[in-house]
Amino acid sequence: MSGTVAVAITKRFPGFTLDVRWEAEQSVLGLFGPSGAGKTLTLQCLAGLIRPDTGRIVVGERVFFDAAAGVDLSPQQRRIGYVFQGYALFPHLTVWKNIAFGLQGRPRADRTRRAAEVIERLGLRGLEQRYPRELSGGQRQRVALGRALAIDPALLLLDEPLSALDAPLRRALRDELREILSGWGTAAVVVTHDFTEAYRLADRIVVYEDGRIIQSAPRSELLWQPASEAVARIMGLSNLLHGTVVKAMPDRIQIAWRGHMLEAVNSPTRSYLPPPDSPIAFFIRPEYVRLIRKDRSAPDAHHMNLMRGRIVGEADFGTVWSLRLRLDTPGAPAQGDFDLEVEVPHLVYEILEIERDRQWEFSIHRGSIHVLPT
Amino acid sequence: MDFFPLWLSVRVALSATALTLLSGVPLAWLLARKRFPGRHALEAVVVLPLVLPPTVLGYYLLVVIGYRGPLGRALAAIGLELAFTPGAAVLAACVGSIALVIKSAQAGFETVDGQLEQAARTLGRSEWSVFWSVTLPLAWRSVLAGTVLAFCRALGEFGITLMVAGNIPGRTQTLPLAIYDRVQANQMGEANALALIAVGIVVVLLFGLSRLARLRY
Repeated sequence: MSGTVAVAITKRFPGFTLDVRWEAEQSVLGLFGPSGAGKTLTLQCLAGLIRPDTGRIVVGERVFFDAAAGVDLSPQQRRIGYVFQGYALFPHLTVWKNIAFGLQGRPRADRTRRAAEVIERLGLRGLEQRYPRELSGGQRQRVALGRALAIDPALLLLDEPLSALDAPLRRALRDELREILSGWGTAAVVVTHDFTEAYRLADRIVVYEDGRIIQSAPRSELLWQPASEAVARIMGLSNLLHGTVVKAMPDRIQIAWRGHMLEAVNSPTRSYLPPPDSPIAFFIRPEYVRLIRKDRSAPDAHHMNLMRGRIVGEADFGTVWSLRLRLDTPGAPAQGDFDLEVEVPHLVYEILEIERDRQWEFSIHRGSIHVLPT
Repeated sequence: MDFFPLWLSVRVALSATALTLLSGVPLAWLLARKRFPGRHALEAVVVLPLVLPPTVLGYYLLVVIGYRGPLGRALAAIGLELAFTPGAAVLAACVGSIALVIKSAQAGFETVDGQLEQAARTLGRSEWSVFWSVTLPLAWRSVLAGTVLAFCRALGEFGITLMVAGNIPGRTQTLPLAIYDRVQANQMGEANALALIAVGIVVVLLFGLSRLARLRY
């Protein structure tokens, strides 16, 4: 078991500079961001496969790298479990030999016991004599994990652990991986460009963009309070919009947008007070837009941020419909040919007969409009 | 019929192949995995023996190992002579065939995913162990193919051998030189027999190689 992981490094390449600093407690940390942002590079620096230009890397009590003090442990000395993207299993070795690969140097009996234990715990019994090419994607992932965990790593690094898998398998294995990570209790760093994956696997998430860190927060805080428009964009949030501040108070913000005045809750942790008329970015989660039923009484005061619009596009995602709404107010739509993306479950789509009826009135609770600091 | 040229050629080719393996494989690994100044120059030099006329190679080799050459004099000082000995034939075969081992092994090493070697390092294996347990087992087919080609090439070496080892019957006359001699002397029956033996050896080796190449790891 290890304590904290502290990384503060820079690495310069032509046209790209990595400059990151983060710390992680004994838990699973997610490095999240678009490809090319420096996430994998950070893992390689942690594992000793690439040497940073400056900085310090400390895992638990051990200093892995310290440019100022001239410390740079070799990958062999670091004892880090690295699960590579695509797994990098040794194709010429059986499952057993892959898992026992890092145990060389231990007494034979010890090696056999440890490999058998790992194979048992990861549910790989019966596959010992298979070669990687004879395994399914999920089994390969477990072999890669087992090979890394067998050496009792001080830290486990996982680079896009699910990207080699098909979509249906990804979901199942994401949960399985989460179980394994919490079951083994090893501190881990997971790299992913998929927010759902980061959210499911990690307790804390560090957001990378272009070699820098633009937010570092517990996962739920990141989900509800992205620190900036850049973070929201990388998270792939829909309905990322721009308006003008009418009035900002510690608990509420009024925003002028597309001919409407929207009422939004101010961020509870970082109350944000821009002056009137300044530009402001905000986002609205598509599943929090309420279509108003026409067979019920007219909308009343508890329907906040009431607007009217027309459905100009829709897409069936199996369990939900994604609708594109264009407001009736004049002016250019906010997102190309539409203003808002709205998500409704299939059942609701059918009950409301949305297929037939294209003109709707809808409301958005002020708690569902999230302002983004600039 | 005199079988001396055949046995000499086999011995020379085996020794030369062993030497090219020992020096060519590390060089191939260096070219495939390391970045160092002069790498491109070295890569060009390595192919030279394939494209230069053998007599030109033989000439320069003779300049180096002849009794007035730098290496020749150094050897003479300790009482050894290389030029016009079977040893010179081995050297000639090495020079003529080493490029085949290097190029083939290098190509093999380059196809090994560097990430597998990285994985082995994170699992605590030394560079030496990474080579023997990952790189070589994944590239052995290319190394073996290069080795067999080099052996065949060494067996058939003519021009360089003639220049540096001469054509001394019973001492440095290898199979290809003997065939040339028999033809010159109009002994077509013997020339024919020796040529068939040479073809036979090479065909068997190449056939064996193609069978082996179908094996996995």
